[in-house]
Amino acid sequence: MNANSDNILEIDRIEVLYDNVIAALHDVSLNVPRGKIVALLGGNGAGKSTTLKAISTMLAAERGVVTKGSITYDGIPVRGQNPAEMVGLGMVQVLEGRRCFGHLTVEENIIAGAFSRKLSKADIRDELDKIYGYFRRLRERRKSQAGFTSGGEQQMVAVARAMMAKPKMLLLDEPSMGLAPQLVAEIFNIVKELNQKEGVSILLAEQNTNIALRNADYGYIIETGHVMLHGTAKSLLSDEKVKDLYLGISKEGRKNFRDVLRKESAVHPDLHHE
Amino acid sequence: MTEFLFFLEVVVAGLLAGTMYSLVALGFVLIYKASSTFNFAQGAMVFFAVLAFVGFMELGLPFVVAFFVTILLMGLVGFCTERLVLNPLMNQSEDTLLMATIGLGFVLEGLAQAAWGVEVRRLDLGIGDFPIPWIIDTTGLFISALDLTAGLVAAILIVGLALIFKYTKMGLGLRAVADDPGAASSIGIPLGNIMLLVWTAAGIVALVAGMMWGARAGVQFALVDLALKALPVLIIGGFSSIPGAIVGGLIIGASEKVLEVYVGPYFGGAIEGWAPYVLAIFFLLWRPEGLFGEKIIRRV
Repeated sequence: MNANSDNILEIDRIEVLYDNVIAALHDVSLNVPRGKIVALLGGNGAGKSTTLKAISTMLAAERGVVTKGSITYDGIPVRGQNPAEMVGLGMVQVLEGRRCFGHLTVEENIIAGAFSRKLSKADIRDELDKIYGYFRRLRERRKSQAGFTSGGEQQMVAVARAMMAKPKMLLLDEPSMGLAPQLVAEIFNIVKELNQKEGVSILLAEQNTNIALRNADYGYIIETGHVMLHGTAKSLLSDEKVKDLYLGISKEGRKNFRDVLRKESAVHPDLHHE
Repeated sequence: MTEFLFFLEVVVAGLLAGTMYSLVALGFVLIYKASSTFNFAQGAMVFFAVLAFVGFMELGLPFVVAFFVTILLMGLVGFCTERLVLNPLMNQSEDTLLMATIGLGFVLEGLAQAAWGVEVRRLDLGIGDFPIPWIIDTTGLFISALDLTAGLVAAILIVGLALIFKYTKMGLGLRAVADDPGAASSIGIPLGNIMLLVWTAAGIVALVAGMMWGARAGVQFALVDLALKALPVLIIGGFSSIPGAIVGGLIIGASEKVLEVYVGPYFGGAIEGWAPYVLAIFFLLWRPEGLFGEKIIRRV
């Protein structure tokens, strides 16, 4: 694969083990086209976070290892890199649960995001101004201790902090977690804006299928470490099975994706079953 | 009047002696901030650093050269600690790290004694441990020149470190790592470099503390245990706070002298040794995070 490929990220059939025995991913393949937003959907424990951490090489910190398959980012194999090197290559992950530096101010949090870059004080001011242009709410709160800001503001701090590293690709892990609907919408609007104006490619792990698919170009649905279904965001939104299981527009009770697929072999032309 | 003057003298002497405790406590705080671990090897680092310093002086190096060579040596100790101890134990529990620092302490004590021998050495900083005449003349107080120097050195170190933490890039990185190492690593802050920096800084602080204590009590193995006096200081001031280390040291210094002089006789004297620990226990009951310890910020 070469750097001019249309995909900024290519994952080819990876398997991930924790502590050498617990398999979290069995067989996950996915591509993120350059400049697009891709949603990675699934319930708790499906393997969304594990997939993101495998890409950013943060797995090692949790004693996880990619045992099979390959991950290629921007033409470079990810194996053997460490998180700081990945940030240097322009790949930044926003961890699940926001993880702000609670005792630092909002502005210090954001500046910390530029740690990997060599910037003068003036450069940092310019970058901050640009960031505050997207996250207007944070400009007013910049002197506040991050630990005392609201959940939505903390999520914005986490994304703003990641943007300070000037990423080519962002990995967002559940940005909607625990937030009120209008805040979720606000954050997704910013993410979309960053994608369009800054050209950042985004891989987004979400449980909130509806909002994720409304903002993404393409979607993958994973369950217990397998990709179950993938397709364009539009086709997934209108897919009966996705509606049934993930969008809560079902007449019957909750079901497992595998059961549904077993019953129905009729496939939408845009959808690919694994 | 002489009664009061005597009391004042006891308090001032205590406060200044307290800054010596603060110096030792400062080394603990640096490492606790960065890795949430109580560094049991800090006492051994004090001993190792000052013994090496005295050793270099005995080899004929001038004072300033010996000082900087020892700083380089402590940088090397920091480097080896990061590579051989911290890095392999990355992502292990804090208890594991705590045990590792106990082991590190033994290694440093052994290395220091193997290299320089076990006999007690004198360290002459050119500053006497006796009262300064003009202070006696003007105020009537007996204050040791060494105590006063230790106070000044501690003040300079504190202010210097505070400025570095607040205004430099490395300082920001360190505070970020102290808050959330995982998140810091996710935005590209190299944990290893930060640890190296912190351990080197703790090594330099250990050297300075060792020089002050060595000048007073001689450079000897007892310095290792003396560092444990930092424990009540940290409990009172808070493990993660630099101002806390200072204030804690002052409180311990002043209260142990006052208690010794005014309460000691009822217990047959020599309560200096254990009074600070009693004080620490009361603090644990009243304010477990210490006076300046970072309260855990938690949104509910």
